[in-house]
Amino acid sequence: MPTKNVTDERISKFKNKGKDPAKLREKRITECVELRKAHKNESFLKRRNITLSSLPDEEALSPDYLSNEIATILSIEEIIKDVNSDRKESQTRGCQAARKLLSQERNPPLKEIIDAGLLSRFVSFLSMDDEPTLQFEAAWALTNIASGTSWHTQQVVEHGAVPAFISLLASPMLHISEQAVWALGNIAGDGAAYRDVLIECNVIPALLARISPETPVGYLRNLTWTLSNLCRNKNPFPPLSAVMQVLPSLIQLLHLSDKDILSDACWAISYLSDGDNDRIEVVVKTGIVSRLVELMSHGELSVMTPALRSIGNIVSGSDLQTQMAIDAGVLDVLPQLMRHPKASVQKEAAWALSNIAAGPCKQIQQLITCGLLPPLVEQLRSGDFKTQREAVWAVTNFTSGGTVEQVVNLVQSGALEAIINLLQVKDAKVILVILDAINNMFMAAEKLGETEKLSLLVEELGGLDRIEMLQNHDNDMVYQAAHNLIEKYFGDDDVEGVKVDTNDDAFAFQCSDEQRTFEF
Amino acid sequence: MFISDIRKEFYEVVANQRVALLVSSDIDALCACKILQALFHCDQVQYTLVPVTGWQDLGTAFLEHKEQFRYFVLINCGANVDLLEMLQPDDDSIFFICDTHRPVDVVNVYNDTQIKLLIKQDDDLGVPSYDDIFRDEEDEGHDSGNESDGGSEPSGKRRRFDEGAVERRIERQRERREWEARRREILFDYEQYEYHGTSAAMMFFELAWVLTKDTKDMLWWAIIGLTDQWVHDKITHMKYVTDIATMQRHVSRHNHRNEDEENSLSIDCMRISFEYDLRLTLYQHWTLYESICNSCYTSCSFKLWTLNGQKKLQEFLADMGLPLKQVRQKFNSMDMTIKENLRDVIEEASNKYGMKDIRIQTFGVHFGFKNRFLASDMVHATAALLESTEKDESDSDNFIKALDSLSRSNLDRLHSGIELAKKKLIAIQQTVASCICTNLILSQGPFLYCYLMEGTPDVKLFSKPMALTLLCKYLLKAFVHSTRNKRCKLLPLIMAAPKDVEKGTVIVVGITPESETSDKKNFFGRAFEKASESTSSRTLHDNFDTSIIELKTEDRSKFLDALITLLS
Repeated sequence: MPTKNVTDERISKFKNKGKDPAKLREKRITECVELRKAHKNESFLKRRNITLSSLPDEEALSPDYLSNEIATILSIEEIIKDVNSDRKESQTRGCQAARKLLSQERNPPLKEIIDAGLLSRFVSFLSMDDEPTLQFEAAWALTNIASGTSWHTQQVVEHGAVPAFISLLASPMLHISEQAVWALGNIAGDGAAYRDVLIECNVIPALLARISPETPVGYLRNLTWTLSNLCRNKNPFPPLSAVMQVLPSLIQLLHLSDKDILSDACWAISYLSDGDNDRIEVVVKTGIVSRLVELMSHGELSVMTPALRSIGNIVSGSDLQTQMAIDAGVLDVLPQLMRHPKASVQKEAAWALSNIAAGPCKQIQQLITCGLLPPLVEQLRSGDFKTQREAVWAVTNFTSGGTVEQVVNLVQSGALEAIINLLQVKDAKVILVILDAINNMFMAAEKLGETEKLSLLVEELGGLDRIEMLQNHDNDMVYQAAHNLIEKYFGDDDVEGVKVDTNDDAFAFQCSDEQRTFEF
Repeated sequence: MFISDIRKEFYEVVANQRVALLVSSDIDALCACKILQALFHCDQVQYTLVPVTGWQDLGTAFLEHKEQFRYFVLINCGANVDLLEMLQPDDDSIFFICDTHRPVDVVNVYNDTQIKLLIKQDDDLGVPSYDDIFRDEEDEGHDSGNESDGGSEPSGKRRRFDEGAVERRIERQRERREWEARRREILFDYEQYEYHGTSAAMMFFELAWVLTKDTKDMLWWAIIGLTDQWVHDKITHMKYVTDIATMQRHVSRHNHRNEDEENSLSIDCMRISFEYDLRLTLYQHWTLYESICNSCYTSCSFKLWTLNGQKKLQEFLADMGLPLKQVRQKFNSMDMTIKENLRDVIEEASNKYGMKDIRIQTFGVHFGFKNRFLASDMVHATAALLESTEKDESDSDNFIKALDSLSRSNLDRLHSGIELAKKKLIAIQQTVASCICTNLILSQGPFLYCYLMEGTPDVKLFSKPMALTLLCKYLLKAFVHSTRNKRCKLLPLIMAAPKDVEKGTVIVVGITPESETSDKKNFFGRAFEKASESTSSRTLHDNFDTSIIELKTEDRSKFLDALITLLS
């Protein structure tokens, strides 16, 4: 047996088992989140490839659009002069030149434009409803400045762009309104603080008002993305009232077929479901679970990934919430995702599986019935390490909540051999989890009076050698856990001598099954 | 990275350090190890010798020694995988790799800090140029966003580009995709075939020479290393002849240098000589008759597994005028008169029987007055010791014995190795004969396939990689001589033999088609990997040669089916 405190600490990492369900979730995914965060920060710099959503003819709406040859050659000084002049033509020309500089791919002069003091001019242009071209150019320029670092975004907000953009949403010119949507998305994407500033300014009703059956797809894509940013980020979460406002429209968007819209809408759901059980409940109540499960089989990775993430979040919730996902058929989809060619998908699927395995034995039974043991064992054997780590958790959760029969089933499907092979990894945490699983299996065997057979099986599979080796492990807890296992189940021969096994029609860890559980 | 100055960049670096020596289980590696040990003794370099039989072994050995050692010398292992990826060493561990396995993994080639390759660059490496396979981050930066990986989280902010920028970006992405496609193609071509480069023993001999610390013993080991590559058919005939010429220059230099001392022959003197000797295995330590019967070259030419072949052999002996009694006599006890010009007599008769190249360039050695060995004798004896299945001895016991048999102070060990080698050769010959006679070699379309069943005599012997490889080569040659099917003559061969009965596994070896002009480039390594992946067969790719794997017996048929589809 592992030492008491170790067990407790680990048990508290499972849903249902620990006292504090929020904490356990948090711990369980801290690492993933950190990775995601790292990735996110990276993509701030990298940015996302975007195709222009405004249709080409919308560009043609701005009459002076063609005069761009002259505009491009303006220097920053000339731009400053033009923008600050009183003549509308000069303002438009300067603003367009600035926008062009800010749209070039390499080293856009964000800071130079800000330092030149042009932001307040740009913001003031936003409200000139009688100068649509100028409005559009200014909105575009501000959008790109807000796409920079937090400091850049801050400059835009502090020049009063938020209310200006929100009123611009109502512009009758679609391309201008869409540019405002985009700019607001950049501001919301900066973090929880500006997100909540926008929400305070009632951005959500203004945005939702633009959704209609006639809205062009390009516009909807931008809008969905902006909505997803309004759902994004924790500490704090977006206010519940805002979430309630957004959700119905999100659900509506989730039933469209455009993959970009689906992707961003799914990401939004994944942000909203990434919280405690109450947060999950809000999402689940909308009845979207079955659509999410459906989208887990979507052909586009960009849709399937956030759908899987959302469902993964949901099954980390309460038993009831998990059951809803199961009823929606998540267990029928997971096997194919466990075998997906992309390791990141396998990992995510294994994570979801590990949380379902932490449920009551009824859910564990459904997991078995739906044929999830074979892919689980495959991943344990030959998955990517991150996937193996999740799969190991699944085994441990399974063995701690499953019935004796279920645990026997698990051992027979080859999981024992697979986790024994994993005992050679370097990660001490994983080793501890495996030792815990083995210990759980022994407890099941004890109930059947089959400990000796299991000891024998573990030994034959090379597990005893590995566990003995672990007694030399640097990590004290690993040493303790390994030592306890050996003490208890691989002790002196006299113990075996005393306990004569008379139970010969035992079905559990029989040698005939060895063939199947044998593995490299 | 490749090391250009082996003395400065390798020897002088490790000279004052403690070194872990990880040595693969093949004869060339043993010889290389002997040379390096001798140098280390000379300069009092502290080292620990660890024999490794496969990748898992290598991983364990590294884990066990990484705390105490900073410098690792890997002999005949490690070059053909991304070693840093596999071992995950700390930043300060340094690996010197002297390995004949090709292709060298590109990451090993272009890592400048931890991987030092003791590999001659003129060795027909064909490494793709850096720019073709690596791209600097800066170039990638902007593009790598979500396009390549549709599954990552969207960015929080997005800039709007103007039309032109979008086009340029699309253009760049197209270029990048093309570059990636070309990269895949280049890497595929580069990694497609497995083959072998210059002997590790020769590399270390060259080091000894550069240090002017080379001795005759070292020279002899280098020759054995090279001969191992020939015996186990790892290099082309051209490469063998070229390297023999190199060794011959060293031999004449040494003989010349020590002429005066050497004239006073003493009981412990050592003399290496270039020979144009017979391709009859171990004949000087056997009877001529048995050697002819158990040498691949003669046995296949006569087709000794047929009655006709046996008859032809008798004719051949009669033709040479050698009395049967003499021929079945221990070679040592044969009449001096017969022995005197035996090689010429045999060559002449062989020419008549279509064996045009019964003689081959090689080297022999005299220890004192009595003991004479050919380089190939040494290879067979040491290999037999290394893969001995006689007693239940561990791999490392066998390794030490084999290593010992290479020292001239250990002639007893060498002789026991020769006896083992004879048994092994007889076993091979008998297995070849029974496989041919019972038609065990099946044509599977793109390759030939032969499975040795559990219960076949000597099957335990063939659970070892070198022995099974040798059997493969002999069997394929014999098959090519015996079949009338022209197409089959050009096919490679896959052979499977029981490996571990308890675990229920077989060892599988794939070899290149039999041909004098073969380039010895083996594609089975990749093919095995692919076939195993596509069928999720339970395979273990543990051998340093990727064309040798372990496979779960029950997965054999699906694995084979996949191979056939893959290669047709």
